[in-house]
Amino acid sequence: MWQKKISRLLAFVGLMAVIHGFVYVHHTPPQKKFPYQEMGFTKEQAATYLLNRFTFGPRPGEVDAVAKEGIEHWFYRQLAGNQLDTAVDNQLQHLYIDASSLSLEEMVNTYPTNGEVVALARKMGVIEKGDTSISKPAYREKLKAFMQQQGFKPIAELEKQLIVQKIIRAAYSNNQLQEVLTDFWFNHFNVSLTKPNCAPYVLAYERDAIRPHILDNFDALLLATAQHPAMLTYLDNAGSVSNNNSIEAKRLERWAQTPNNNDKPFKKRASEGLNENYAREVMELHTMGVDGGYTQQDVTTLAKILTGWAIYPMFKNGPAYQQLEKTTPEQLEKRGFVIQNGFFFRPNKHDDSPKTFLGQYFPANGGYKEGITALEMLAHQPTTAKFISTALAKHFVSDTPSSALIQQMTQTFLKTNGSIKSVLITMVNSPEFWNPNNQIAKIKSPFELAISTIRATNAQVNMPYQIFYWCNKMGQKFYYYQAPTGFPDRADYWINTGSLLSRMNFGLAFASQKIPGITLNLPALNNNHEPESVDAALKIYSAILLPARDNTQNIQRIAALIHDADLNQKLAQAANQHNNNNYNNYISIPEMDTTVPTHTVQPLQTNNPPPSLSQVVGVIIGSPEFQRK
Amino acid sequence: MNRRIFMRNGALALFAAGIGGVPNFIAKAATAGNKFIKPFQKRKTLVCIFQRGAMDGLMAVSPYADPNLKMMRPTLYMSPAKTEGSMIDLDGYFALHPSLQAFARLFQNKQLAIEHGVGSPNPTRSHFDAQDFMESGTPFNKGTESGWLNRAIGLMGKPATPFSAVSITSALPRSFYGSNEALAISNLNDFAIQMRGNPLAGKVAANSFEALYDNTSSQLLQKTGKESFEAMKMLNVNNLKQYAPKAGIVYPNSALGNALKQIAVLIKMDVGLEVAFAESGGWDTHVNQGTINGILGRNLKDFSDSIAAFWEDIAAHQDEVTVMTMTEFGRTVHQNGTGGTDHGRASCLFVLGNDVQGGKVYHQIKSLAKEDLEDQRDLPVSTDFRSVFSAVANTHLNIHQNNILFPDWNGNDIPIMRYS
Repeated sequence: MWQKKISRLLAFVGLMAVIHGFVYVHHTPPQKKFPYQEMGFTKEQAATYLLNRFTFGPRPGEVDAVAKEGIEHWFYRQLAGNQLDTAVDNQLQHLYIDASSLSLEEMVNTYPTNGEVVALARKMGVIEKGDTSISKPAYREKLKAFMQQQGFKPIAELEKQLIVQKIIRAAYSNNQLQEVLTDFWFNHFNVSLTKPNCAPYVLAYERDAIRPHILDNFDALLLATAQHPAMLTYLDNAGSVSNNNSIEAKRLERWAQTPNNNDKPFKKRASEGLNENYAREVMELHTMGVDGGYTQQDVTTLAKILTGWAIYPMFKNGPAYQQLEKTTPEQLEKRGFVIQNGFFFRPNKHDDSPKTFLGQYFPANGGYKEGITALEMLAHQPTTAKFISTALAKHFVSDTPSSALIQQMTQTFLKTNGSIKSVLITMVNSPEFWNPNNQIAKIKSPFELAISTIRATNAQVNMPYQIFYWCNKMGQKFYYYQAPTGFPDRADYWINTGSLLSRMNFGLAFASQKIPGITLNLPALNNNHEPESVDAALKIYSAILLPARDNTQNIQRIAALIHDADLNQKLAQAANQHNNNNYNNYISIPEMDTTVPTHTVQPLQTNNPPPSLSQVVGVIIGSPEFQRK
Repeated sequence: MNRRIFMRNGALALFAAGIGGVPNFIAKAATAGNKFIKPFQKRKTLVCIFQRGAMDGLMAVSPYADPNLKMMRPTLYMSPAKTEGSMIDLDGYFALHPSLQAFARLFQNKQLAIEHGVGSPNPTRSHFDAQDFMESGTPFNKGTESGWLNRAIGLMGKPATPFSAVSITSALPRSFYGSNEALAISNLNDFAIQMRGNPLAGKVAANSFEALYDNTSSQLLQKTGKESFEAMKMLNVNNLKQYAPKAGIVYPNSALGNALKQIAVLIKMDVGLEVAFAESGGWDTHVNQGTINGILGRNLKDFSDSIAAFWEDIAAHQDEVTVMTMTEFGRTVHQNGTGGTDHGRASCLFVLGNDVQGGKVYHQIKSLAKEDLEDQRDLPVSTDFRSVFSAVANTHLNIHQNNILFPDWNGNDIPIMRYS
């Protein structure tokens, strides 16, 4: 009896904890302090660390604001992710970034693939079959006119919209953690614009499969990605089909009972074949990890379990759509088809044989449900818990997170049915997270560098695509990473000789507003006080761009260089020697030729015009310290 | 100490000795005109060219003597006959497309070999998947993180210079993915610290950066920073013009021509290039591919003229360089209803170099009769692409670890290279 009482009491306490936890997250300020003080962080350092980890970089004054608010309160507010984002909405509207408001079906019908356009144009007789006289440009013109007439827009426009919205949201959203996690999970469940058939779905994928689930339970996120047309195309599961089912068997039976069937031999369905790509990657890359304890047999079995998981035809002018129009969705559902937001389960393409997956027996005729069960199993594997916790820790803490931290996160993952939110809460409450060695342990990806620069300088970005161009130059053509691994999440991938010079050049180009569409007001960052010397400028702007960091050594190093009269002398000499040959080609940008005098350059004096403010800021952005976070 | 590390240290010592107290960057600028010291002599370079979109191997190097071809390609068939396109006969069975004129001499010189019927054992006809497989070198495994050329770089030991592996493309190609350092750059002129409109300020900035990176507590940033500035000085964009092609060598003004021109600069500069990568597009000829002067003909002309110009440009280095082309698959034997060809299986590739046993079309093609085709429509893959890649890379770059270069494959190399 007493045991029962105690267990009831425990249940009650547990319930209260849950309720309390719920209220705690959403309404009252959190009581439990993050263990930063005992780990040697000041409040400002702690705020900076959190801002570096859970946003795309602090904006001017933000460190103080977060410290004042209380870092715990700020963190839970970010977890809730419900801040108003009027500025983002306005800017997207201003830039005509509107594709996000289309349904998946509208998107597919607005931005058809080139293949779909050509097929339709041919069908409608716009492009004549076998017409060999037409030249390539004329052919393109014809297609372009056809697209306009049909109200189609080029798919490149959709891709551009996807890129621009990411930049604008990352730079300006108040719900920064949402953006950081969207970036993280997209990369974890990578799909790519390099695959043409996948491209029309990528924007919707990020919006519908990733975004709503970034802090959800992991199984929900996994399922949403598994069923999205983007993933179904990217890793080919949409084409993985089997005839091993009762529908096909009945067809054969009907044929066998037809009199004189020898005249009409049984026609097998044209496409048949297992494709293991998704089945393999979902285990290797999305859930259990390569050494997660599955076998090749499990890969093949999972591929069989997922046969018939396909894409619902949405392109209204396509043959598959028109074929389907003959049947109502209700009729299809009655026959075992499943239709939901672009996903389509086709029982006539599903392998209905009995199977054993990861040691669990799946009886025959499991249909659609067995795929759900299998993915659920994957989401809850202990190796998955560890694999996901490791990935999160690598992203949010350091490239080499401590095993103690990973273990704590793994435990939470297993206890909470894979609640991503709970795993993150465990992480920030762990002293391991607050190890001072982690403070600037991560190297920013090119995207993180670009966005943190925009944020740190309060820059206005009027041509966001230019940022994409620079990210590409620095080694991150986001949305175009071809392999399902996603970009490797570690410093040595990002840092190599070519990319490092590009990062420095980015800093210089950005600060001097040579990147089209960037508007900066550097003096405003210092309340329009002009620094009285280069040294002062260095000091002030280092503190603005790299808050709560010890910048003294950096400042001394740069200041010494800028004041080195000898160096300036050498510079001028070098320049003079060079003017005779090809000094002007130092930079292959035409306008430069007009600015470099062909006559003798005067040696610079120590008191000659000092480097401009933009140069100073450019050097800070390109400096090693600004690459770290 | 392995050879390459020794060279590296040697090069650094020379740097230091030559430069003294003057900042390196300025010393280089001041001594412009002198060819940079050459610590990396006799280095072998493999240049890979990916023809994205799937080249029609049956028209590029046509088995014109097979009577089936004419039947299946009523308007696309070509042969050495004047009335049928004046192809360049190679061996009485195969003939080169007339646009590949530039290759004919290289073939006669036995520097150019052709492998026909080559492709992937994975029957996918998706460009994306087939390119992915060909570049990762693992035709049945999507999850392979690295590209085959990156693994090749790794097998050569620690890179001696930052220019060991360079792709003249804007983004890193799949072939270069991996843990060994590889560079993607679309324009060598970008390899400098630049202040638009203010080169002097650019130099001050470069010096500031160099000092800052030298001073950082992040080992990775410090090391890579040092290498970046070394690389910048080695390349010295001021000097690029000196390595421009000699008069008379004309590269086509195309993406491939420009890329190969820049690869030639790196080779002539002796900066330690070992694996180079370039690509060419527009091979997906579903519609109106044409014959002599069609879309394919124009592409083939650009392709072969670019390679021939490159070969002439690096005349002094030909012993050290091998060029290998690749394309994800071939095209249907039948022409389609729109004067083009659709996605097929096998295509052909070209290997050029003094190490190459050239002047021959290597193949194991049976015939183009329907019963000899894959799915009764496509030239079957009779040569696994890895048996060519492996032969070229292993011989030319002197690496012999196929378990790493091409895991899951234990086929034999095609004897396309001279074994020393």
